[in-house]
Amino acid sequence: MSSRPFRSDVNFVVRIGGEAGDGVISCGELFAQAAARTEYHVFTYITYPSEIRGGFSMVQIRIRDWTIYSMGSRVDYLVVFNQESYDKTISGLREGGMVIYDPDTVTPEPSETTRFFAVPLTQLARESGISGPGKNVVALGALGHLFDIDPVALKKLIRDRFLHKGDAVVERNIKAMEAGYEAGKACGWQQRFRLKADPDAKASYMMLSGNEAVALGAIAAGCRFVAGYPITPATPIFETLCRLMPKVGGKAVQMEDEIASISAIVGAAFAGEKVLTPTSGPGLQLMGEQINLASMLELPVVIVNVQRGGPSTGLPTKTEQSDLKFAIYGTAGESPRVVLAPSTVEDCFYQTIRAFNIAEIFQVPVVVLTDQSIGYRKATVRIPDFERFHFMPFHDLIEDNPVIPNPQHIDVVSRLEPTSEELVDYKRFRITDSGISPISRPGTPGGQYLATGLEHTEKGHPDYTPENHQAMTAKRFRKIEVLSNLLEKNPREYYGSPEARIGIIGWGSTEGAIREARYLAEQEGVLVRHLHPKIVLPMADRRIRYFLAELKHVIVVEENYTGQFAHFIRARFGIRPIEVHKCQGLPITPREILAAILNVARISDEQSITRL
Amino acid sequence: MSRASQDYKSAVKPIWCPGCGNYGAMKALTQAFLDLDIAPESIAMVSGIGCSGRMSHFFNTYSLHGTHGRAVPTALGVKAARPDLTVLAVGGDGDGLSIGGGHISHAARKNTNITYLLLDNRIYGLTKGQASPTTDFGHKTKTSPFGVDEPPMDALPAFIVYDATFVARSSTVHVAELTELLKAGILHKGFSILHILTPCVTYPVFDARTLKATLQPLPEDHDRKDKMAAIVRGYSTNPVFTGIFFQTEKPTLEERLEGQAQPFAPERSGDELDMLRKVLYDFA
Repeated sequence: MSSRPFRSDVNFVVRIGGEAGDGVISCGELFAQAAARTEYHVFTYITYPSEIRGGFSMVQIRIRDWTIYSMGSRVDYLVVFNQESYDKTISGLREGGMVIYDPDTVTPEPSETTRFFAVPLTQLARESGISGPGKNVVALGALGHLFDIDPVALKKLIRDRFLHKGDAVVERNIKAMEAGYEAGKACGWQQRFRLKADPDAKASYMMLSGNEAVALGAIAAGCRFVAGYPITPATPIFETLCRLMPKVGGKAVQMEDEIASISAIVGAAFAGEKVLTPTSGPGLQLMGEQINLASMLELPVVIVNVQRGGPSTGLPTKTEQSDLKFAIYGTAGESPRVVLAPSTVEDCFYQTIRAFNIAEIFQVPVVVLTDQSIGYRKATVRIPDFERFHFMPFHDLIEDNPVIPNPQHIDVVSRLEPTSEELVDYKRFRITDSGISPISRPGTPGGQYLATGLEHTEKGHPDYTPENHQAMTAKRFRKIEVLSNLLEKNPREYYGSPEARIGIIGWGSTEGAIREARYLAEQEGVLVRHLHPKIVLPMADRRIRYFLAELKHVIVVEENYTGQFAHFIRARFGIRPIEVHKCQGLPITPREILAAILNVARISDEQSITRL
Repeated sequence: MSRASQDYKSAVKPIWCPGCGNYGAMKALTQAFLDLDIAPESIAMVSGIGCSGRMSHFFNTYSLHGTHGRAVPTALGVKAARPDLTVLAVGGDGDGLSIGGGHISHAARKNTNITYLLLDNRIYGLTKGQASPTTDFGHKTKTSPFGVDEPPMDALPAFIVYDATFVARSSTVHVAELTELLKAGILHKGFSILHILTPCVTYPVFDARTLKATLQPLPEDHDRKDKMAAIVRGYSTNPVFTGIFFQTEKPTLEERLEGQAQPFAPERSGDELDMLRKVLYDFA
């Protein structure tokens, strides 16, 4: 990452709120798309109720002239379609912020620090002859004027989006957008940043959601078999893969439930394919037994768990980082597995590739933990450069290490297969130094073997003798130890000043918010070091101890109630971190983290509590 | 290349009790493989948990002995990924009618081209004699000390209602008949399910002699396309009919998946990187 200072001229947040069914999300997406075609970076955050219609729905778009790390802390521009969304979101507006509201449905409270502009969204939509929601397109037009977006570009976006509904619908929506644009002009506001389309400005960027990035990563990694069951908020991964798998010669099957889904991918992995199933918390729980089976059969499977608010049905459409303990410990008996946690939309792509590489090399189930906020977030990301991809059957682990992600050289690895010598008296589960034993592909003569969930010998035959169970358990876990040792060679995953005595540890989607909080703290004169492991199981113990060693205070930030990662850190490294939790179904903001950092800095000055 | 039954046998010794009906199923399956001349390495056998779930241990095939009740969706995954393999799922009445019962209707609906052997001994044998969904009404077991107070499940008519494209019943007491039905099931294009009655000698609910007395092949004029007749005969308890009750042809899951990918074949003609770039344009 670049050390460019945290300063930006264009850096603002637009929030659009309304009732689900008002087209809030599509208004936000269209606006974000228009902005993404400019020279600026875009980052969206979406929250919606689990009902298709009714309930509060919101989309937030941040636009900046430099990489965006989080959704931001305060809202600069608020667009509200109804009273509920006004009531629920007005507190997030910064002082001096602007509100655009529909006078037919919203009565704002007068405020001296807020500028209000009434745009008759409902009325203009009706006048354009749109049946059903149309307010969103009117609002898009108004925003278009405010940010000086070329109306031609807006028309093109509307045409692309509504074309499948016919020309008449396209024309009515364009009319509504133009009405909104004129209404914006009539407001007499000063036009903000010019979001003029510049096709060349960002030719090397594209806009993706975290869920799409996972799907693309899977395809790039060579995944050609997907089985799944729809579950919010993981469904878009499955939908994307259902659409793309046939294009790349792969297969996607919708199964009857999560147990069947993971069973099917275990079967397909046994058959020789690279496989994936996307799910969310409740689905992951159902998959528990089959994940153990994959561990026992030493089959490479990738499970992507897009976390949502829990427990039980919980908050299906909200974000939370609360499946970590289940991903790590959710196992009857001791079954080795690997858990990854991508931290940005772009990282979702690369960590998914890494998940497949680890699964294939070590023949283990790999759980990728993302969450609703990163899954639904859309961000401008660098287009992956496939020239830097290297496809290989299997890599010598010592010579060159594909577990280390290197943007200049992305390896795509497939499982180790037996040589013809090894097929003579083939031992599928041969005990080796690394724990890795060659896996034969069905159809290979002489490669037949028994893969049983019972404890087994090197040949795969059932065997419950004491020595065998100990030896085979050690073999399976040795693979994780080898991986852990390789991780020690990873490029550093922490940032910030070596002088800092306050450390902050996070995992998953909070990386951007923590990074911004660190910059903000630095502006206040407080130095912070930030560690953000992408692989949360196993961890590179020595590197983390090194990170912890010189710190006086460690803060662990996570979006859950009980501090799951903090417990893990505490148990593993014997320290007592200060825990910062947010359990509201919403992403933590940089300012919330900053408050925690400044509190700790104050305590640190007073020489009290928490010693390492 | 001519093969011998030995070629299909693994080095694992069967754990079944002497006299167990499952030996008959093993013999019939071996003979079916021999008769159809299927190479052992092109067979994938997925089995569930229970005495019958051990079947895959004893064959020199690509064998997967997985979890309780999940043999069918697991086998579906194998077949969908590798249509070139001959894929079988094997399980008992607990596996296929109790814990994994929900999967059968979906495998049938998807019409995945696998053959499912449901070995029904009407008891949980491996766990030493508890009631299964097909244990006779009134039969006393350790979990039904006052006699089973629920009626046994009529599985076969249900399979016909599920629209499985091949539904047959046989038993391990008539190995020759079972062999022929297994061959027909393996050759059938689509989901073939064989309900195989197999007596347990250690926790008997029924024995070979009484079974033989009640079994009777379907009448010669039985029309396999007549679903209603198949259901009526499927319910019959005296005699208990054996043979192919219902058979029809529908596109298989594997054919449909192939059909989805086929139109894009020209786009995949370039190299891997080209294909990936094209996928990216999908998002740009």
